[in-house]
Amino acid sequence: MQTRKPKISKELKEKLLDLEKLKYCFECGICTASCPMMELAPSHYNPRILLETIVLDPEKALTKPDIWLCGWCYRCYERCPQKLKPPEILLLVKTHAVEEGILEGFNEAAKIMGETVALAESCYYVCFHPERTKMRQEDFENVLKKLIKNRNKTKRQKIKPQGEKIAIIGSGPAGLTAAYELAKKGYHVTVFEAYPEIGGMLRYGIPEKRLPRKAVDDDVEYIKGFGVEFKTNTALGKDITFDQLKDEGYKAIFIAVGALKSRKIGCEGEELEGAVCALDFLRDVKSKKTVTIGEKVAVIGGGNVAVDAARTALHGGAKEVTILYRRTREEMPANPWEVKEAEEEGIKLEFLVAPSRILGKDGKVAGLELVRMELGEPDETGRRTPKPVKDSNFTREFDMIILAVGEAVDTSFLPKEIELSDINTIWADPITMETTKEGVFAGGDAVTGPASVMEGIVAGKRAADSIDRYVKGG
Amino acid sequence: MSNPQVVEVKQSSLQKEEPRIGVYVCHCGLNIAGSVDCENVAKFAATLPNVVISRDNRYTCSDQGQDLIKKDIKEHKLNRVVVASCSPRLHEPTFRRACEEAGLNKYLFEMANIREQCSWVHLYDKQDATEKAKDLVKAAVAKVALLEPATESEVPIIPKALVIGGGVAGIQAALDLADTGYQVYLVEKEPSIGGKMAQIDKTFPTMDCSICILAPKMSDAGRHPNITLLTNSEVQDVKGYIGNFKVKVLKKPRYVTKDCSACGDCSKVCPVIMPNEFDVGLAVRHGIYTPFAQAVPSTYVIGMEHCLNKDGVLKCDKCIKACERKAIDFDMKPETVELEVGTIIVATGADVYDPTSLRNYGYTKFPNVITSLEFERLINAGGPSGGKLLRPSDMKIPETVAFVQCVGSRSDRGHLYCSNICCMNTIKDALLIKEHWPDTKIYVFYVDIRAFGKGFEDLYKRARKEGVIFIRGLPSDIYEERKTHNLWLVGENTLQNDVYKVNVGMVILSVGIEPRRDSDVIQKLLVLSRTNDGFFMEAHPKLRPVDTPTGGVFLAGCAEGPKDIKDSVTQASAAAARAGILMAKGKVTVEAITPKVLPENCKVCGLCTKVCPYNAVVLNKDLKHVEVIEAACAGCGTCGAECPFGALYMRHFTDDQIIAQIDALTEHDADKKIIAFCCNWCAYAGADFAGVSRMQYPTNVRIIRTMCSGRVAPKFVERAFVRGAAAVLVAGCHIGDCHYINANVQTQKRVERLWKKMERLGLNKERLQLLWASAAEGERVASKVREMQSIVQSVTKEEIEKSKKMTEKV
Ligand SMILES: Cc1cc2nc3c(=O)[nH]c(=O)nc-3n(C[C@H](O)[C@H](O)[C@H](O)COP(=O)(O)OP(=O)(O)OC[C@H]3O[C@@H](n4cnc5c(N)ncnc54)[C@H](O)[C@@H]3O)c2cc1C
Ligand SMILES: Cc1cc2nc3c(=O)[nH]c(=O)nc-3n(C[C@H](O)[C@H](O)[C@H](O)COP(=O)(O)OP(=O)(O)OC[C@H]3O[C@@H](n4cnc5c(N)ncnc54)[C@H](O)[C@@H]3O)c2cc1C
Ligand code: SF4
Ligand code: SF4
Ligand code: SF4
Ligand code: SF4
Repeated sequence: MQTRKPKISKELKEKLLDLEKLKYCFECGICTASCPMMELAPSHYNPRILLETIVLDPEKALTKPDIWLCGWCYRCYERCPQKLKPPEILLLVKTHAVEEGILEGFNEAAKIMGETVALAESCYYVCFHPERTKMRQEDFENVLKKLIKNRNKTKRQKIKPQGEKIAIIGSGPAGLTAAYELAKKGYHVTVFEAYPEIGGMLRYGIPEKRLPRKAVDDDVEYIKGFGVEFKTNTALGKDITFDQLKDEGYKAIFIAVGALKSRKIGCEGEELEGAVCALDFLRDVKSKKTVTIGEKVAVIGGGNVAVDAARTALHGGAKEVTILYRRTREEMPANPWEVKEAEEEGIKLEFLVAPSRILGKDGKVAGLELVRMELGEPDETGRRTPKPVKDSNFTREFDMIILAVGEAVDTSFLPKEIELSDINTIWADPITMETTKEGVFAGGDAVTGPASVMEGIVAGKRAADSIDRYVKGG
Repeated sequence: MSNPQVVEVKQSSLQKEEPRIGVYVCHCGLNIAGSVDCENVAKFAATLPNVVISRDNRYTCSDQGQDLIKKDIKEHKLNRVVVASCSPRLHEPTFRRACEEAGLNKYLFEMANIREQCSWVHLYDKQDATEKAKDLVKAAVAKVALLEPATESEVPIIPKALVIGGGVAGIQAALDLADTGYQVYLVEKEPSIGGKMAQIDKTFPTMDCSICILAPKMSDAGRHPNITLLTNSEVQDVKGYIGNFKVKVLKKPRYVTKDCSACGDCSKVCPVIMPNEFDVGLAVRHGIYTPFAQAVPSTYVIGMEHCLNKDGVLKCDKCIKACERKAIDFDMKPETVELEVGTIIVATGADVYDPTSLRNYGYTKFPNVITSLEFERLINAGGPSGGKLLRPSDMKIPETVAFVQCVGSRSDRGHLYCSNICCMNTIKDALLIKEHWPDTKIYVFYVDIRAFGKGFEDLYKRARKEGVIFIRGLPSDIYEERKTHNLWLVGENTLQNDVYKVNVGMVILSVGIEPRRDSDVIQKLLVLSRTNDGFFMEAHPKLRPVDTPTGGVFLAGCAEGPKDIKDSVTQASAAAARAGILMAKGKVTVEAITPKVLPENCKVCGLCTKVCPYNAVVLNKDLKHVEVIEAACAGCGTCGAECPFGALYMRHFTDDQIIAQIDALTEHDADKKIIAFCCNWCAYAGADFAGVSRMQYPTNVRIIRTMCSGRVAPKFVERAFVRGAAAVLVAGCHIGDCHYINANVQTQKRVERLWKKMERLGLNKERLQLLWASAAEGERVASKVREMQSIVQSVTKEEIEKSKKMTEKV
């Protein structure tokens, strides 16, 4: 097919090079080494080389599938010595490709996604974000359809589980990916899930607006097609024990239980009606329970969960939603792009404030007592620690408070031999994913603390390879 | 040398003479001629009043160029000269000398800066750049016609020097000066001199033992009859000016007197144990201690905080009892020493980058991830591990070691610059490991290996030959293996396009060098500038690399920028020579730019005395007018700008001269122009820097140079508006960085008053802008000019007409 020679205007090129500091990339390779997409599809994706292509031959970059393969996890940006933001640089290029009507790279990328990621359909929505290019809805859907069709072609006949037995605990992205990879390798895989439905945060966390149920359903169906068994409503530690698993002949266990415990802020008034934890709130909304949403909502926290909770509250009918964060925009852990979208929808952000008390009236939330913060000396994470400004307390009226001050890992069900990390997550060897208990592996949010779908997927893949080596080796 | 008396005679006859001006427009090769039509400018200059001759030539600063000026002065009886070329900050002294050699008083010379502030910043707009050059020449001609001859007075220089910082640079500078015969005070903050070099083991590229070559120098400095060592001391206050500084030094108590024989009996009984700073916390010391074996002075020292209990009462006196020589004195008090010196050398060195904030590298989280400075102590025979490279987790010698380069350097997460020494330092360290434990497997993860110095490439080759593995690509993460405390480095080999996962026993982060965290103290005391990187800035990066903009103050070593020992020592000797030259002369001429009092105008209101940063204008009630103390006056002109009656006549920057410049620049198209007043030290230098860096900005700005923004009298700003200028910019040093202590505070006040007045008159006060920009902030100047374009465009005809009445109403 003869395509028109794509062009990149001088302005766009300058914008790419200057604005995004592309010129300063000194090719250290840190982005590539930290990139989950690179680990999943090394023959297709290398952000460092891709960025260089954009510098040397931007026109060529327009047609490459690579530009569509970034999973928006920002791991590269968090480490890049020059603070480049590859996902946003690539967005500029993609947007231009769409404007020029160049979609062959995108089509090709969809094929690669389907081949490399078990959760391709979910990832299409929450990782690859083609919609951010402002492409036509039609194109967005067409390519998605092709992705699904392509993938189903490769789907095998439903096979009977056979081979050595492996137990996976938790059916989030990490668990599902490990299950899929191991099943493909011929293992008899059983996934134990505490909740009634499969999918982890894909199912219970990420709002419907950003990730439709159908996508998750499709992905799960696809994985089931490889003979993976699922046991829902079965929580490890409650409905089934480690010893039981061992007795039942499971050769290895992969723990991917995520980080589902909402942290509390420990201030007065958390028990009031109208004060909720973000994860509970999001889960209830997604489970289609009736949820009362206030008119003036405050969301406390600065991460992605805070942003999602705020947007869900707004879509659910809140009149005014404000995110209150105790540091500044610079330090916000939420992905910059997510924040930008939230602001565009009308969500307000306030920085350097922290709640000191939730105010109540007749057992219901009536407002917040807040205190102004200022940034002090950098702590050991290099971020400057916020500290309260003396006598700066003030109050604000709210009728709903959503707490999104972080999620922790529930480790209460673990046997003692499984040691924890210094941030109270499960410790696993970063290369082999093995915990301190032999034959027990762990990955995903349960190990890293709250991260991203892409990182969960990579953890699952890494664990599957390692479990395979372990079972074969011993 | 011209005979001053002859000059006097000429001067007096000159005053009555009609000005006969010669103008020389320089092409500077293509540097100017590339974007300015120099011939055209010269032709234009010939039409200006009093211009007798006007020429353009390729290089005016060349011998031929200067000879031509001299010849013209004689042949055409020129009594004023204008050179339109580069910045006066560069070549004014050159041309002034040429004038003097031809018998013309050097104060009858003026420059038009058509390179840094014209051709280089308007590379692509020859037409407008040429118009601007004409304007600048016109202003210079207008000013030169009003210039007056002057003789410079001289002040004696105190033949003593102060060196701040006792690292290798400070020691070298002190020794050089002391050997020349000058009295030197060497002030060191720590209890011993030696600096970083005392901490490192071997030195690249020669691999000789660092302390072995430094210790003799240290004791030389300690013993030299001309050197007074002030350790445990800090400079607290500096007053005065070139040749005559008054310095206050705070000497913190050691609590041990000179009688100490360094026997160490006290240490043995001291119950206090704490991390030793010298060993970067890898070893411990007692409360009473000597920092290291070769310390100079060797006298012990007590860190008193640890001898006291919660209530500040002494809780232990074991050392006093143990000392046979009775050298311990708990009653020692901090003492302020007052010094008078003629020159000052700043050799405060640098700090090393703290990589704790790079979480992905796990420094402080994983015991076996250490910094290169810690490595120096570990590999040093006198260090905590007796020279064995023992890894902190289990005190075993690692079989594999990885170095990670550029940690905190060349990065937006640390410092943007290259730290200059870490590549070679790593190569040295790798070779040291190979020397002691040849079977160690060594990886170096790098982005570029910078081995540019003499002998450097050889050393690099040697490391390769010894089998050190160099991999291009930095690790993205360092992980720890829980049981072994070994480390995984994960990164991309960017030459192979392949991800590596390497397991090693120890990781050494090759940390960069950064400006001293307390640099601002010395900066303020000595009114120095710092570059964007934070290191002290030299007066000229090429031609005056060890001078600072403050007369009589020089730089040496890492205080000026990251560098190795050889460069630090070279620079120290250079600084000593520069300071020596000044002191050998014995006196310094003071530029004839101080004010003259016109007693008949003075109403004895005392306003000027309040604004002078040096208290150099004083009321003399008997005489019924103010007086200027020449020796104390620095020539900023702040008093002149304050006097409402014109009683202070600012030589070489008179009201008439500056107004003539304004008038010349606003003669046509004023409503499209920005008139900018820039102080010599920061804003004007910043504008020069924009030129040197070829930052492009619009052509419609016209810069007038004053020594200080404090010289900018409100009437100058008003004059510019009355003449129809679209906008005015007043620019000076950042508050706190003023080269005349705090004269720019007056600038701010005056601009604020002008803003109020403009508001009152219904004028758009945006048209007057105030900018603080340092000499390194070319981009600030450039972007200010860019930013002001929208103001210029928005100014209407009516607004201009209205402002022409600005002075009438008041
Ligand atoms: C609101 C929200 C929005 C997000 N948005 C995005 C996004 O846009 N893009 C992105 O990349 N990432 C996003 N994330 C993060 C992402 O969802 C997680 O990083 C990812 O799901 C982690 O995968 P996981 O498999 O480790 O754990 P999870 O997805 O948390 O799955 C863990 C599963 O284990 C189950 N489980 C827990 N304990 C037990 C037990 N004892 N026995 C059995 N089962 C158990 C849980 O029920 C759960 O189903 C978001 C997260 C949230 C909360
Ligand atoms: C890990 C490492 C390894 C190195 N290895 C080598 C090598 O092998 N070869 C080589 O050539 N170079 C090497 N260098 C560089 C070398 O250390 C420097 O070039 C040299 O030390 C610079 O000397 P300096 O006197 O300028 O500064 P410093 O050595 O830093 O000394 C400055 C002194 O000033 C004192 N001071 C600071 N502020 C004040 C103040 N306000 N008042 C009074 N005193 C003050 C400090 O206490 C210090 O004693 C290495 C550097 C590092 C960090
Ligand atoms: S991490 Fe940054 S500097 Fe390094 S290769 Fe990637 S984009 Fe370039
Ligand atoms: S954002 Fe994530 S997926 Fe995209 S290039 Fe960076 S590391 Fe890779
Ligand atoms: S000297 Fe080498 S290691 Fe140090 S900053 Fe420069 S390039 Fe990096
Ligand atoms: S204000 Fe400036 S010019 Fe006037 S006397 Fe003081 S130092 Fe000299």
